[in-house]
Amino acid sequence: MVIAPVEDDYDDDYYDEDDDYYDDEDEAKPAPPPESLARKAVRGVGEGLITMGLVVLLFVVYEVYVTDLLSAEKQQDATAALDSEWSSNVVTPPPADPNRKAKLELVEGKAFAKMYIPVFGNDWKFSVVEGTTDKHLEIGPGHYKDTAQPGEPGNFSIAGHRVGKGAPFNDLDLLQSCNAIVVQTQTQWFVYRVLPMRSEVAGWASNARSKEPSCAGVAPLSTTLGEAYAKTVGQEIVVPTQGEVIAPIPHQVNATVPPEKQARLLTLTTCHPRFSDKQRLIVHAIETKSYPVADGFVPPEMTEG
Amino acid sequence: MYSWIWRHLPGPLYLRIVEAVVLVAGIVALLMFVVFPWAEPKLPFNNVTTQ
Repeated sequence: MVIAPVEDDYDDDYYDEDDDYYDDEDEAKPAPPPESLARKAVRGVGEGLITMGLVVLLFVVYEVYVTDLLSAEKQQDATAALDSEWSSNVVTPPPADPNRKAKLELVEGKAFAKMYIPVFGNDWKFSVVEGTTDKHLEIGPGHYKDTAQPGEPGNFSIAGHRVGKGAPFNDLDLLQSCNAIVVQTQTQWFVYRVLPMRSEVAGWASNARSKEPSCAGVAPLSTTLGEAYAKTVGQEIVVPTQGEVIAPIPHQVNATVPPEKQARLLTLTTCHPRFSDKQRLIVHAIETKSYPVADGFVPPEMTEG
Repeated sequence: MYSWIWRHLPGPLYLRIVEAVVLVAGIVALLMFVVFPWAEPKLPFNNVTTQ
């Protein structure tokens, strides 16, 4: 009967110590020091910095997500306006030569064509508006004024955002040679195909890709149309001042080639690298086919990809 | 700044929380719909055209 009391003692001690420990902690808590001016200033600066950080983060959210929502609405309105215009207009049947047709009446800020890139999925479609100012590009891809119209000889050029505002041209860098870009106007479908890339130009004839059905009508332009088109390849990255990429013959601003000798090109421009405006990503494509618009008809190219 | 605002919010705790949420939402909306759209074109992120 010696051990039991010892155990009790031990337990008591243990709990006593525990209580003491917490008691000590409470007593040791320092009283808050008086708010000095310096302390207030430091805290104010710190809170200011945190606030600015939050604002910058919020701006990223705005730029990448919120502008998408705002633009989606504008794109929808533009598409609805285009649809109602197309359904109310009297369609004159397209002339015999489908590429020789009356000019479209382009009004700045109004959609005049629909654009599809089947390899991006069949949900990738945008109404193209006339004009390339910030206001226009918020609605969707914008057609450079004074460049060719869809299906015309020359260079039908379109700019589009790569980040935010619907980001129509987000994946433009993924386009490969022969990928189809389909443009629909009220009366016609135009199928453009991305030209061979710079690295593919040299060995195009022996390249297995050139034998694929999707590449019918696609060849390096320097071999089919001569040296003037030597610099016109599927994709290029240029500096923002190089407006010559949207010239009727890209990179040949001063060339005087009669329109009937000019290729029917499509050029897409967007910013590069993503999130930067240091350079421009350019994609060139050539028209390979066109179809008249008919009820229920969808070009076979639309199901590619 | 934040504690100063908190101290000056009137009413009991639950009301202060509601007021704080409304205040934050208002500032976020002001940024999203007024300040950012104004500032965005001035920043070099999203120019996609060539000159």
